[in-house]
Amino acid sequence: MKLLAATNRYYLALAAVLFAVGSGALYVGVNQALRHEVGEQLDIRRHEVEQLVRAGRPLPGPPFESGLEVSAGPRPLGFGDVLLRDTLEHESVPHRQLTFAVRPAVGPPVWVTVRKSLVETDDLVRVILATMLGVLAALLGGAALLNRWLTERLWAPFRHTLGALRSYDLQQHRPLALPTPAIAEFAELNLALTHLSQRLVADYENLREFTANAAHETQTPLAIMQAQLEQLLQLPALEQDPAAAPLLAELYGATRRLSRLHQALGLLSRIENRQFAAAAPVRLGELLAEKSQQLGPLLEARGLVLHLHAPAPLVLHMHPGLADSLVHNLLHNAIKHNEPGGDVTAILGSNYLEISNPGADPGGDPARFFERFRKHRATADSPGLGLSIVQQIGVYYGFGVSYAFEPAGRRHVLRVQFGA
Amino acid sequence: MKLLLVEDEPALRAVLLESLRPGGYVVEVAADFAQAYEKIKLYRYDCVLLDLTLPDGNGLDLVRALKADNSPAGVLIFTARDTLEDRIAGLDLGADDYLVKPFHLSELNARLRAIIRRRQFQGQHHIVFRDLLVWPDQAEVLVRGEPLTLTRKEYDLLLYLLANPDRVLTKEAIAEHLCGDAVDAADSFDFIYTHFKNLRKKLQEKGADNYIRTMYGVGYKLSSE
Repeated sequence: MKLLAATNRYYLALAAVLFAVGSGALYVGVNQALRHEVGEQLDIRRHEVEQLVRAGRPLPGPPFESGLEVSAGPRPLGFGDVLLRDTLEHESVPHRQLTFAVRPAVGPPVWVTVRKSLVETDDLVRVILATMLGVLAALLGGAALLNRWLTERLWAPFRHTLGALRSYDLQQHRPLALPTPAIAEFAELNLALTHLSQRLVADYENLREFTANAAHETQTPLAIMQAQLEQLLQLPALEQDPAAAPLLAELYGATRRLSRLHQALGLLSRIENRQFAAAAPVRLGELLAEKSQQLGPLLEARGLVLHLHAPAPLVLHMHPGLADSLVHNLLHNAIKHNEPGGDVTAILGSNYLEISNPGADPGGDPARFFERFRKHRATADSPGLGLSIVQQIGVYYGFGVSYAFEPAGRRHVLRVQFGA
Repeated sequence: MKLLLVEDEPALRAVLLESLRPGGYVVEVAADFAQAYEKIKLYRYDCVLLDLTLPDGNGLDLVRALKADNSPAGVLIFTARDTLEDRIAGLDLGADDYLVKPFHLSELNARLRAIIRRRQFQGQHHIVFRDLLVWPDQAEVLVRGEPLTLTRKEYDLLLYLLANPDRVLTKEAIAEHLCGDAVDAADSFDFIYTHFKNLRKKLQEKGADNYIRTMYGVGYKLSSE
């Protein structure tokens, strides 16, 4: 829920309660006041009547006097409410009445009841209530509308900041450039965020340089190690000790693996640093065929069959090195995690490449297969960076890379979607 | 056969020099761009082995200088792994081949042989090893005059061995030679074994026994004894 919607909800709830209570109070108040007023008028009438009687004049009678009833019998004294039938409109009309006794100079005492219709009073209450409620409702609606408009206006800088943050990409190596809005809080927020992004960029830059330098600087000692180990393997003295040569050979293999690992990590960091700006049209079908041929010996060694379906020629605009790496890693992965006597099936559609191979259900979250150093078996020689590289290349060019396990055919399916 | 080795790293230079020596080459060395430039201007070489990243200049400029002088020298460049652009630029400039550092010394020998063969220096149209005679242009192998039929991979393997006589070839080097260096060597050891078994059998059938020796846990060696 939006912050403003949340606060507005409370305001509206409070206003609604006040509105209801206020309307009730207003009704009761106005009604009381008017009844009191009617009561006073009836009292005045009583005085008039009493004065008339005291002066010895006769009581006014119909048809000159309406709302006055004289009775010889005793009646309950005081105020009362009564419904009387209006002969003209044929409806019951509420009246307020006051009954009192007078003693004319001659004759027995009479009981007089004065009445006043409450119809006008009710109309008045209605008008007053309607006016007041109308004003209150307008106030409430106006406040809500004003709030909405203010949200649009006053919170605009905040939304701008949010948009800038959302589209912020550290890999562009640029700090956030946020304006200084007039609202102090937002200005402060933007300033803090700008500082934060500057620090981030600086740290990231340091890390990147360190990685690049470290990768480059380790390559030379590795090259020396590897070359010297290979020379060491040529020594005739090794033949004296049957255990020495395999040890050296293992060392040699390890050096080679280290150098591969380095290459893969270097490639990953270079993709992340967007250092593959150059692009050229790449014919994916041809690349696929070329790579399959290159991996032929490996397929053969594993006893695997390759099915290649590339009905439509697909041309992508990307860095040739990355295209190479993408296809290579996909195929290599399918070969590596295959079953004896299995197959590798590559389907090149009009806008996707799907490579599948049979294998056991790996279990676990498919997203985790793209994690770095994620291995099928803990003992595997490969560092487990192939799919990470595929994914990074996907991120770089906006390709959708997905993995699925089809339980029906027990197949691993890796799919790269090239754009929509 | 005169070579110029341009490599700025002393330890690597030394080990490269040592590995090239049994090939019967005369190798001169240059430790930086200036030295190398001077040497290619003053002397003629059959092949230049060139590290592209030098402390005082870009190795690609040396390739340019060689080509500008219409030098007949073959050029083999060494590049870092992550510089695909350099590699392509080097080949475009006229380098014959490239090796990505770190490389196998046996691979260097094989590539160097191939360059020399392609350029047909000193009329080296064929390779002789013990009873073997190989005509690389025709991809023909003769054992004591009798033709030997090999598959493409077996032939590649034989040429690789012939480029490195009496050298221990590691499994990694062989695997990467046959499958390309993008392949994890460990994946293809079985496959090497099969190919060696077949090649050996075919040689044996023609009477060329004990040419290929297995170095237990290490790799293979083409033996001249």
